[in-house]
Amino acid sequence: MKHRQQTGFLFDAPVHGAGEPQLVEVAPAAAPAPRAVPPLLQTTAVVATAAPTVVVPTRELWAAVQLPREAALPALQTLALRALLFTPRVSLEPPDALLLELRGSLGLFGGLKSLLGDLQAQFVMAQSIALAPTPLAALALARSGKSCCIVDATQLGSRLAALPLQSLRWPDDAIARLSSMGVRTIGAALRLPRAGFARRFGPALLDSLDRLVARRSDPRLAFRAPERFRMHCEPDFELTGQAGVMRSIAPLLATLADFLRERQCGISVLLLRLVHRDHAATRCLLRLAHPESAAQQFALLLEAQLQHLVLPAPVRRCELRSGPLLADAQLSAALWKPGEHGGGATAQMPAFLDRLRARLGSQAVHGICVKPAHRPEASSLPSEPATTHSVRHLPQCPPWAAARRPLWLLPEPQQLALLHDNRSARAYPSHQGERLTLQSGPERLETGWWDEAGIERDYYIARDAGGARLWIFRQIEPPRHWFLHGIFC
Amino acid sequence: MPDAATHSQLDQLLQHPALWRGRSAAVQETWATGFAALDQALPGGGWPRTGLIELLIPCHGLGELRLWMPLLARLTQSATARWCAFVAPPFELFAPAYAAFGLRLDKLLIVRAPQPLWALEQTLVSGACDLSFCWMTHAQPRDLRRLGLATEQGRTPAVIFRPLGAEREASPAALRIAIEADPQATGLRLRFIKSRGGKRGVVDLTLDR
Repeated sequence: MKHRQQTGFLFDAPVHGAGEPQLVEVAPAAAPAPRAVPPLLQTTAVVATAAPTVVVPTRELWAAVQLPREAALPALQTLALRALLFTPRVSLEPPDALLLELRGSLGLFGGLKSLLGDLQAQFVMAQSIALAPTPLAALALARSGKSCCIVDATQLGSRLAALPLQSLRWPDDAIARLSSMGVRTIGAALRLPRAGFARRFGPALLDSLDRLVARRSDPRLAFRAPERFRMHCEPDFELTGQAGVMRSIAPLLATLADFLRERQCGISVLLLRLVHRDHAATRCLLRLAHPESAAQQFALLLEAQLQHLVLPAPVRRCELRSGPLLADAQLSAALWKPGEHGGGATAQMPAFLDRLRARLGSQAVHGICVKPAHRPEASSLPSEPATTHSVRHLPQCPPWAAARRPLWLLPEPQQLALLHDNRSARAYPSHQGERLTLQSGPERLETGWWDEAGIERDYYIARDAGGARLWIFRQIEPPRHWFLHGIFC
Repeated sequence: MPDAATHSQLDQLLQHPALWRGRSAAVQETWATGFAALDQALPGGGWPRTGLIELLIPCHGLGELRLWMPLLARLTQSATARWCAFVAPPFELFAPAYAAFGLRLDKLLIVRAPQPLWALEQTLVSGACDLSFCWMTHAQPRDLRRLGLATEQGRTPAVIFRPLGAEREASPAALRIAIEADPQATGLRLRFIKSRGGKRGVVDLTLDR
């Protein structure tokens, strides 16, 4: 009994404060672990098998959060971000569980009880939350639906003994063979002779049993939150010009490039924030068509954008923030130069697009696409230019002949003046003072009753005195004005 | 009277790679235009694959862009297609019409720039474009010379549309063509002002309308 209490004390680290004197005293005995077996541990070892192993002194307390159904990895990562509020040591257990090491957080959260309350509030959707000194034990408890808490590692064997083997998620055939042997609980499995167990079911399952009851340490891969780059500099004097700003952020950009190179990543969003004394900060946002990681390219694009910015006041501080890190897929370089022997330009396209957009603005550079609509204004839309060659966008030919639609469309239909012919007493549409001759038409395009932008027009192809072919229309409803809408170019 | 042996010796000599002959410089890579009459009139049998092409137009709407549709359809549908850039177009591009000519629309890039020179030069030197169209009203010969060098760098020809008034200005472009309305109103008339390695003259084209 005395031994038990001592071991209890050893593993049951006081829930508040890692700095208490008893712990410091005990720690040296616990740390140089396995070979020198403290006698007290052997007596309390739960497992009856002839074990060369001992309970590895663990000062961890793992919480397993079991989710109601299988979650996709991104969803699990989102939850892991939430778990990072409690502890920096979070481990994913796909497809449906999270592991949190909470021993170090007990003091901060005011003890085990209040921490558990916070956990439950944070993970309302969780099926069960169980705490145990080893990750596998916590998982087994949570997966068998028991929301309980084991703090003492020596009690693991006895507390887990009643759980069904299914909670370990072992392979189905192993569980079937064990149950045919009459072994249905963890306790029964722990009582089996080790050598025979390893021979029949493989060393991997024996190892997982050992890790379950802390006879072997169980290091977990820690979840790392997605990183971003953030850095600032405060120059010794206030900067007034763009050149000064570029000079002072050059070291930041070099650090950013190193940061990205170490992680083999690129970024496609970069924000430069320039802080002034009395004015609101100036923001300079860079959006790239392709993940980029070279300092030189960032400098080039930022400089092009800064040229358009008017700094309202001298700059006191420059801040650089990156968007999320993206895998920097290095495009293979072409053997030929672009255009040479039919060589493509996949590698050049994104950087070229970025360069144009940095100087002209992102709206000024675009592609076009067809939208199936009967109104001319709605059937041609700007689109994002494609930087890769896809096979899907094959030209879809409209049902009418190519020659019946103009290559140019005016942004707004332009009203045409009328020329009155005195002899025939009729009025003809005119363009630039010359009478238009109608070549073909009318082609009626109308309705749009389902929205506000309905049209009622008769379209004609007309020729002006200079020989230009124009796409004009006449309103069906009075006042029946003539409009120029397109040019056959 | 040179005999056959002398001829073969001469041919052998002319085959030597170190020998440069004046006429071979004029032979250049071209793209077929899609119009037989125009192919015959152009040096090398088609649009040059590099350099400046200047088209002088009295007004929009004569068919000056229609002239390029067969080539654009072929270029954009090739497996290694680059972009075809429209720098500073005077109006909106009406996408259904381009699709009807068989162009792949995702290979068209529209660049709106108040000062088209810089944007045009970028499309030329980047190597990301197969062909670059640009509309400009004023251009200094110095700028055009610079653009000519840029076309060599990215192997991208530039087609520049300028008003007919620029005919009398000096230009380093290898090909200068004035486009005029066809008197019969069935097509358009191309008047070659300058054609390096080719002939001057007039070509009438019929467009299916």
